[in-house]
Amino acid sequence: MTLRIAKKEMTEMVRDGRFRAASAIVFTLLAGALLLGWQHFREVSAQHASAQRATREQWLGQGKKNPHSAAHYGVYAFKPKVPLTMLDRGTDPFTGVAVWLEAHKQNEFKYRPAQDATAVQRFGELTGATVLQLLVPLLIVLLSFTAFSGERELGTLRQLLSLGVRQLDLARGKALGVAVALGLLLVPAALIGVVAITAGSGQTDMVAAIPRMAWMTLGYLLYFGTFLGVSLAVSAWASSSRSALIILLGFWMFNALIAPRAASDIAKALRPAPSAFQFARGIEKALQGDGHDSASSRAKRLEQELMKKYNVDKVEALPINFTGARLQDGEDHGNEVFDQAYSRLWTVFDAQDGVRRLVSVTAPSIAVRSASMAFAGADFPQHAHFARAAEAYRRTIQRVMNDDLMRNASNTGVYVAGDELWKKVQPFEYTAPDASWVLSRQVPSLVVLALWCTAAGLAALWTTRRVRVY
Amino acid sequence: MLGTLMKYDWRNLSADRAPLTVALVLGTAIAYGAFNGSEWIRFQNRAISEALAEERERFDRIRSEIPRIEAGEMTVSAFADPRQPQSFGRSVGTRYAVMPPAPLGALAIGQSDLYPYYFRVSTSSKATFLNNDEVENPVHLLSGRFDLAFVLLYLYPLVILAFSYNLVSSEKESGTLALTLSQPVSLRRVVMAKVLLRAAFVAALAVLLSAAGVIIGGANLAAEGAWPRLLVWAAVTAAYGAFWFALAIAVNAMGRGSATNAMILAGGWLLFVIVIPSVLNVAIQAAYPVPSRVELIQAIRVAGDESTRQGSKLMARYLEDHPELAPPSNGPGGPPDFGTLQVAVNEATERSVQPVLAQFDAQLANQQKMVDRFRYLSPAIVAQSAFNDLAGSSAHRYKHFLAGVDEYHRQWRGFFVPRILKKEKLGAGDLDRLPVFTFREEPTADVTARAGVAFAGLLIPVLLAGIPAVMALRRYPVAG
Repeated sequence: MTLRIAKKEMTEMVRDGRFRAASAIVFTLLAGALLLGWQHFREVSAQHASAQRATREQWLGQGKKNPHSAAHYGVYAFKPKVPLTMLDRGTDPFTGVAVWLEAHKQNEFKYRPAQDATAVQRFGELTGATVLQLLVPLLIVLLSFTAFSGERELGTLRQLLSLGVRQLDLARGKALGVAVALGLLLVPAALIGVVAITAGSGQTDMVAAIPRMAWMTLGYLLYFGTFLGVSLAVSAWASSSRSALIILLGFWMFNALIAPRAASDIAKALRPAPSAFQFARGIEKALQGDGHDSASSRAKRLEQELMKKYNVDKVEALPINFTGARLQDGEDHGNEVFDQAYSRLWTVFDAQDGVRRLVSVTAPSIAVRSASMAFAGADFPQHAHFARAAEAYRRTIQRVMNDDLMRNASNTGVYVAGDELWKKVQPFEYTAPDASWVLSRQVPSLVVLALWCTAAGLAALWTTRRVRVY
Repeated sequence: MLGTLMKYDWRNLSADRAPLTVALVLGTAIAYGAFNGSEWIRFQNRAISEALAEERERFDRIRSEIPRIEAGEMTVSAFADPRQPQSFGRSVGTRYAVMPPAPLGALAIGQSDLYPYYFRVSTSSKATFLNNDEVENPVHLLSGRFDLAFVLLYLYPLVILAFSYNLVSSEKESGTLALTLSQPVSLRRVVMAKVLLRAAFVAALAVLLSAAGVIIGGANLAAEGAWPRLLVWAAVTAAYGAFWFALAIAVNAMGRGSATNAMILAGGWLLFVIVIPSVLNVAIQAAYPVPSRVELIQAIRVAGDESTRQGSKLMARYLEDHPELAPPSNGPGGPPDFGTLQVAVNEATERSVQPVLAQFDAQLANQQKMVDRFRYLSPAIVAQSAFNDLAGSSAHRYKHFLAGVDEYHRQWRGFFVPRILKKEKLGAGDLDRLPVFTFREEPTADVTARAGVAFAGLLIPVLLAGIPAVMALRRYPVAG
């Protein structure tokens, strides 16, 4: 019975001109967004890869200079692009693309792509994710808001139920019909997406991408299921098609427009982040230290320690170069300061994410956006993961340079090093976190989506059982 | 006649609770949006005052340190010596160039959360201090802000459509339209009365509440140019609302049922507010892709390497170009020190990077021109650009600020470079002779002219939708 109802629904929908027009538009936008995403990914990925190679060549080709000068010259680290960002660019336009790894400073990432775009971009980018998160739910609403209210107004609901069709079968049949009609649209688009992602990534990337794609698909399916359930429930409960449509459009609008912004506002109000000035000033003050812990007093302390350790009474008699030791000590102190400041800031951002997760209990769109961004590899925690890896590499460079100074520089005269030292620093290698790392952080979002989907399904079944027949 | 129609329509409208709840929702959203905008202004002002306070503190400390260093009471490393012009200009005595929020900044947060509003200017190249981004969780930048512009661009049209989607069709469906028109009154007059009533209600709500919200939030109406901007902003809001009313009339005039009208208008809202802007964004980026910043980084590095390699050769060429800056012939000779070399190296690097930067700016300008031309495809884009301009949160104002910073950077360098080359030390009296940055707002005439063009651009769709609508009303199937 369910299948028969589903077949009838599907046939009716596919023959309906409105469905065909709407699906054609959504499919074109989706396919277009995927292709654009693929092209953008290919370009940017190639740029970042060649830039990473070039900065390594510049490092190796420095010629002969003092290791500390080389440390100041530094290298750049460019954020690698993950193939799934073809589908969802997430926060990538709003995080910098490159960071300068130099001595004494942990720099911020530079050049956010959004700063090079016009104000029109703030309306929203056309990516596969925005089409899936905004337009497909609207399509679901349009397909199913007349499921029960339309039949009631036409008079056919009374006839159906008088034939002995169970309300449960009716609800399931209608849901299945809409799902299959939507599948006609989404499955080809998903295939295009998979082909694009495969074409754009190497073998290792593909292996990493498959579990992420699977979890992302799950998230989206739960989201679509939520909208389907809510639409059927409202259609059965509302007194007319018109009010069903208005309620559902209101639900969509709340999810698409209001909830994300309201959640951000609530998160910022409850867990405010410092301003850029306060953040930089805090680091500056901690680096300068107070009189007790200033750079000069630290240097004197180090002098005493080293002289005692090597049992000499003059700095010049130390077996290691004191400048190198002092520089490394300064780096260690700086690293402590940076670690404290950045972990405090990133804890605030994590806390804000937590608040948004709480708010997502009222709006599943927040949960699906968070899950989609995370599995695509374009959310802030993964940016921070890269930032931490780049910073660890910076500290390695400093240590290698300072070690060399300590061991090989004499306490008099100018010391220069060459290629052999530059080569000692390995090239920067970064592996993105795997799907299970992301999953462990996104379990709450998926749970929220699953709860919404279940609740929507139960609501649909409950309202259908009590549907008003005329 | 119009007044009578309006009076009775108002009675009908107010008896139905739904429109009033919708109006209440709009009012709450406007109040919240104005509050958010004012909060952002307060945040910016706080950051600016903290920065300027830090500068004052630092200068007071330098003022007390210089005499003590000169007297030999305290020693300080060369890099931190405030008397050395290269250290002072590069790090010790750097000053802030600040762009305070515009008088009506609370109206629209726009792009102002993405662009820096203050810089710490030093003698080093601009690339070292221009990336002064505000700390913000990128997800918040992605979501956008719940400010007044958001409410007016997205929710205000929905309220208008909710009020007027069944302007004529509801009366037709309930049968009262035929009765009304059996009186000596034309359909056009009835529709006009209804629209005027709703327009007055909604537009008044939007404009008055927003203005009140912004003023309560602390906008400085006494500032120069505040009133003209407020008036143009009210005009743009009214014109934007007029477009949606015209669209609603046009859809009603097609003669379909209320439910169909609702769907068509929802589709129209979706098209103009969501689909066209994202498609236009894609088209702009395809037509004028901005060159890669990654390549810019490479270009700057390569240019810097080249200049450093050339080193003293550049110094000689620099002094040839600027003979007035050469140190006196009886002064200290010998190889140029770090400070003087930096001057020449910086200048050479910037000269070779200039074409790359110019290419960037050219592409961005092309993008902006394309937006300016094609924004008329959607009234939402036109209204957004007008709101951003009037609130001072647009790229125009930021570019204006950057031009001022550029000029100030030149002045700053112009103060220090001669002293570096002549190896002159700074004294306490020089602190008062330092160049100071003052931000001058764009002339109000420019801003209101740009917004005025947007206003005119909004009137065209109003006419395009409204005129055929009013004509189609003549052939409206009143009964049956």
